[in-house]
Amino acid sequence: MNRQAKFMNRRTAGYSSLITFAVLMIAWLSGFASRLFAVIRFESIIHEFDPWFNYRATAHMVQHGFYQFLNWFDERAWYPLGRIVGGTVYPGLMITSGGIHWLLHLLNIPVHIRDICVFLAPIFSGLTAISTYLLTKELWSPGAGLFAASFIAIVPGYISRSVAGSYDNEGIAIFALQFTYFLWVRSVKTGSVFWAAMAALSYFYMVSAWGGYVFIINLIPLHVFVLLIMGRYTPRLFTSYTTFYILGLLCSMQIPFVGFQPIRTSEHMAAMGVFALLMAVAFLKYLQSVLSKSEFKKLFIFGSLFAAIIVFAAVVLLTLMGVVAPWSGRFYSLWDTGYAKIHIPIIASVSEHQPTTWFSFFFDLHILVCAFPVGLWYCIKKVNDERVFVVLYAISAVYFAGVMVRLMLTLTPVVCMLAGIAFSGLLEVFLKEDSAPNKQSSEEADESAVEKKNMYDKAGKLKHRPKHESSHESNAGIGSNIKSIVIVAILMLLMMFAVHCTWVTSNAYSSPSIVLAFHNSQDGSRNILDDFREAYYWLSQNTADDARVMSWWDYGYQIAGMANRTTLVDNNTWNNSHIALVGKAMSSPEEKAYEIMTSLDVDYVLVIFGGVIGYSGDDINKFLWMVRIAEGEHPKDIRESDFFTERGEFRVDAEGAPALLNCLMYKLSYYRFGELKLDYRGPSGYDRTRNAVIGNKDFDLTYLEEAYTSEHWLVRIYRVKKPHEFNRPALKVNERAIPPSNYISRKTSKRRRGFIKNRPVVVKGKRSKK
Amino acid sequence: MLLIRSLIVTLLIVCASIVLSNGQGKAPKQGLSLSEKVQNLLDMNAKKSVLKLNGNKFREYVKQSPRNYSVIIMLTALAPSRQCSICRHAHDEYTIVANSYRYSPVYNNKLFFAMVDFDEGSDVFQMLRLNTAPVFMHFPPKGKPKAADTMDIHRVGFSAEAIAKFVQERTDIQIRVFRPPNYSGTVAVITLGALLAGFLYLRRNNLEFLYNKQLWGTLAVLFCFAMISGQMWNHIRSPPLVHKSQNGGIAYIHGSSQGQLVIETYIVMFLNAMIVIGMILLTESGYQSELRKGRIMVISGLCLVVIFFSILLSVFRSKAQGYPYSFLFK
Repeated sequence: MNRQAKFMNRRTAGYSSLITFAVLMIAWLSGFASRLFAVIRFESIIHEFDPWFNYRATAHMVQHGFYQFLNWFDERAWYPLGRIVGGTVYPGLMITSGGIHWLLHLLNIPVHIRDICVFLAPIFSGLTAISTYLLTKELWSPGAGLFAASFIAIVPGYISRSVAGSYDNEGIAIFALQFTYFLWVRSVKTGSVFWAAMAALSYFYMVSAWGGYVFIINLIPLHVFVLLIMGRYTPRLFTSYTTFYILGLLCSMQIPFVGFQPIRTSEHMAAMGVFALLMAVAFLKYLQSVLSKSEFKKLFIFGSLFAAIIVFAAVVLLTLMGVVAPWSGRFYSLWDTGYAKIHIPIIASVSEHQPTTWFSFFFDLHILVCAFPVGLWYCIKKVNDERVFVVLYAISAVYFAGVMVRLMLTLTPVVCMLAGIAFSGLLEVFLKEDSAPNKQSSEEADESAVEKKNMYDKAGKLKHRPKHESSHESNAGIGSNIKSIVIVAILMLLMMFAVHCTWVTSNAYSSPSIVLAFHNSQDGSRNILDDFREAYYWLSQNTADDARVMSWWDYGYQIAGMANRTTLVDNNTWNNSHIALVGKAMSSPEEKAYEIMTSLDVDYVLVIFGGVIGYSGDDINKFLWMVRIAEGEHPKDIRESDFFTERGEFRVDAEGAPALLNCLMYKLSYYRFGELKLDYRGPSGYDRTRNAVIGNKDFDLTYLEEAYTSEHWLVRIYRVKKPHEFNRPALKVNERAIPPSNYISRKTSKRRRGFIKNRPVVVKGKRSKK
Repeated sequence: MLLIRSLIVTLLIVCASIVLSNGQGKAPKQGLSLSEKVQNLLDMNAKKSVLKLNGNKFREYVKQSPRNYSVIIMLTALAPSRQCSICRHAHDEYTIVANSYRYSPVYNNKLFFAMVDFDEGSDVFQMLRLNTAPVFMHFPPKGKPKAADTMDIHRVGFSAEAIAKFVQERTDIQIRVFRPPNYSGTVAVITLGALLAGFLYLRRNNLEFLYNKQLWGTLAVLFCFAMISGQMWNHIRSPPLVHKSQNGGIAYIHGSSQGQLVIETYIVMFLNAMIVIGMILLTESGYQSELRKGRIMVISGLCLVVIFFSILLSVFRSKAQGYPYSFLFK
C-alpha cells in the first residue's frame, strides 16, 4: 500500500514537472515568436533611438575589449564637450551581449554582434517568464506560477520594451528584477545566507543593467519595515536583510556610474535607515530576553525616542551639509506630480514621462488589469511574510505606473503574478472534477493537473483541506453544466487576452521607427520609407570624417550610430544648457542662428520634415519644446509667446507668428517646399502633417545651402557656409584693382523718376512698323 | 550770450509759475506733476500692495502721460453679483505677486500694481474696449500698451508664477514669488493624524480591527481601482467632467485614446470593480457549504464578469480606432 502510494506520488511528480517544463517552454517560444513581428516585416535592425547608442557601445566593446570600453571617452558626442561613456552608462547590457558573443565565438559559431543585440530582448523575455514562475510559485502555488509565466510571455506592457531590435536596458532589467525578487522571497522564507547572497548578486546584475534598480533598493526595505510594523520580526528576516543589504551595497558601488550614490543620495537612504532599525529591533529582542518586563518597557520608550531623534537630526544635518544629495528631479516628479511640468521642461517633454490614462492600462494589460485586484485581495486575505511583499510591490508599482507611462513596465510583472493567482484560484474551484480533464483540451488539462498537485503543496493550504473536501461535494451539486459554462467563459476571456496581445504587438509595438511603412490606399500594397537610413548613409559617405552635425537631440544617437559623425547633443540629455543652445539656434532667425552655429563649429544641420508624407513626429511638431527649453536658459532672447499667433495658436500658414515663419527651423524644413505640388489639384506648398499651406514660401537661405534631401523629404541636410562663401571680405580702397568711381547713385527728389533710353514711342491705334 | 541768458530767465519763470500753480491747488484741471503722482502712489502703496483705482484715478495715474513708472493693472469683477469665480482666484494670485513685490528688495517707484473693479470703473472697461474679466495689462512708462502688454491668460494661466513671469517679460523687474506658506494641507494632515491617534487611543483595548484583513484588502483594492482608472491623470491634467459632443448631446467618453473625461474614469472604475467582485464571487462559491447559495454565487459572478467585461471592452473599442475584437456587445 505504502509502496503504491509512493509510486503514485512519484508518477504525479514526474507528470507535473513534465507539464511545468512544457508550459514554460511554450511560454518562452511564444514569447519569442510574438516579438519577431518587426524582424519579419522589415529586417533584423536596431530600433528607435537609445538602442542605437547601446549598439554602438556594444560594438565598441566587442572591438576594443572591456577595459578600453570602461575608459572610453567619446569625442563624437556632445561636441565640443565629449562624453565619458564608460563612466556614464549602465554596462550590464553591453556586457551581457558581449559575453554571449564571446561565448558563441569560443564555440566557433560566427554570429555578428548586431544579431545578438537584436535578439537579446526576446531571449531574455523567456528568462523573465521563468523567473516570474519561480517567484509566483514561492508566493502562491506552481499553478499560479504557470499562469503568470504564460501571461508575462505575451503581455503587451512588457513586449513594448522587448521586441526584437529594441536593444535597451529594460529588456534584460525586468528579468533581473524578477529574479532578484524571487531570490529575496526565497531568502526571507528560508532565512539562509546563501539565498540572501544570491539575491545580492542578482541585485548587482540589476544595478549594472538599469537605473530602475532604485525600485528594488526601496521596495525590499519597505517590505522589511512593514514586516517589522506587523510584528513579524524573525531571525530569518534579520539574516536575509543584513546579508542582502551589505553585499548589495558593496556590489552596487562597483558600477562606475553608480559610484558612491548608494551612501550619498536620498533615494538610497531608506535602505540604510531600515538596516539601522532592524539592528535596533534585533538588539531590543535580545534585551527582552535578558531584562524584566518593566525595565524593558522603560528602556524601550526612552531608547526608541532617543534613537528616532538622533536619526532624524542626522539625516537633516547631512542633507543640509550637502553630504547627502536631495532627490533628483526625475524621482522628485514621482512624488510631487506637478513638479516636472513647471521646473524641468526636458523631463516633461518626453512622452514617456506623462501620466497614464485608463486606456493605456487596458491597452497594455487587457483582462489582467481587471483580474489583478482579485489576486491582491486573496494575497491580503491569506497573508504571510512573502505575500506582504507582493502586496507592497503591487501597490507601489500601480502608483508609479499611474504617474508615468514609462513605469508601466515595472507594474506589468506584478500584475501578471497577481492575475495568475486570481485565475488559478478561480479555475481551481471549477476544474476540480475527476472526469473533467478528459473532455477538455490539453492545455486546461495541464492546468487542472497542476492544480491537483497544489493540494499536496504546503504554504497555508493545509488549513483549507477540510473545506476543500466539503466544497468538492457541494461542487458536485452545483452541476457540471454551470461548471462547464463558467470554464468556457473564462477560457474565452483568456483567449481574447491572447488575441488582444498579438494584435497590440503587431499593430502598436512592432515598428522600428527607423524604417516606416505605410499602406497604399489604392491598391493596398505596402510601401517602405527608408529615408532615415538613406540620409544617414549619405552623411557617412559624403561628409568629412570629423564633420559636426547639428540636429535636435532625438537624432543624436542615430547620427552617431549610423552615420558615425560628431553630434552636438544626443539622447543622453545630461547637459541642459547645451541642448538649450541648439534649441535657441533652431528658433532664432538665420543670421543669429549662424552666430551660434559658427561658435559651435557646426558643419551640417539635419532636420526631420514630415510635411510631404504626413509624418507627424517631425521637428516642426516638436518645435515648441525646442522653444521652451531654449527659453528656460535664454529668457531674454527666446520667448514662447512670440511663436504663437494673437489668438494663441501655433500655425505654420500665412497667419502664423512672424517669429515662427522666419526662424531657422521653419526655413530649413520648408526651404523650396513652396515650389512643390503634391497634388494636381491642391495648392503648392501644402503641408500634409499640419494640413495647411505654408505661410512663408519664397525665401532664400543666406548662410546655409541645401546639401541633401531624402526621397520623401523626410530628412533634410544643409551645409553651413563658411564666412567667405556668402560674404566676400571687404577690400581696402588702396588694395582694390579697380578703383571706385566717385559717382554715387542717389535718389533725390529731382531724380526720383527713372527713364529708359531709346524708349519706343507708342502711338495709340497704330501698329508698330515691324 | 544775451539770448542764452534771457532763455534761462524765461525758463526759470516758467518753472516757478508751474510750481506755484501746482502749489495753489489748481492742479486737477491739468493733472498732477510727475513727482506728486509718484508720491501719491507710494503713499497709497504703503497701505495696500494692490492699488484700487476707479475711473478718475485710472485716468489720472495710468492714462495721462507724464509717467516714469510702469503699472500692471488687473481688470476684474469681484462683486458677488457678477458671479465671476475665476476672478476671485485671479485676485488671490495677483495679490500674492503684489505682496511679494511690495516686501521684496527690488521694490521701487518704477512699478505699481493696481486693479480696477468693473463696478467701480466700468468706464475704464469701455475705454479699453474690454468685455471679459479678468484681464491683466501692463502700461509702459512711455507710449500706449501694445498687444503683447495684455497677458494671455488662456495660454499661460494666471498663477502667481505666470504673472511674475509676465511682469518680468514686460518690465525686466524680477519678482520672486513668495507664497504665504499654505498651512491648510499641514493642518489637515495633523488633524487627520490626531483623529486617527485619538480613535486608536479610545479603542486601545480593542485593536482587533487593525488585524482585519478585509479592511486592509478593501483599502488596497480601492487604491488599485483609483490608479488603473486613471485618477492620477485626472489629478495632473484636470480634464472636464463631461464634453459637449458635436450633435448637441453630452459625451461621457472622450473620443480619442489620448484623453479621458472625469466621468469616464468613474465609469471605468465601476466596471473594473464589478468584474473584480464577479471573480471573487466565482472563487468563493467553491468554498460555500450551502448548495443553493453556491449556485447563486456562481451564476451572479459569471454574469458580472462576462457582462461588465464586455461593456468595458466596448468602451475601449469605441476609443481605439480599428480595434477588431469585441465580446457580447459591439
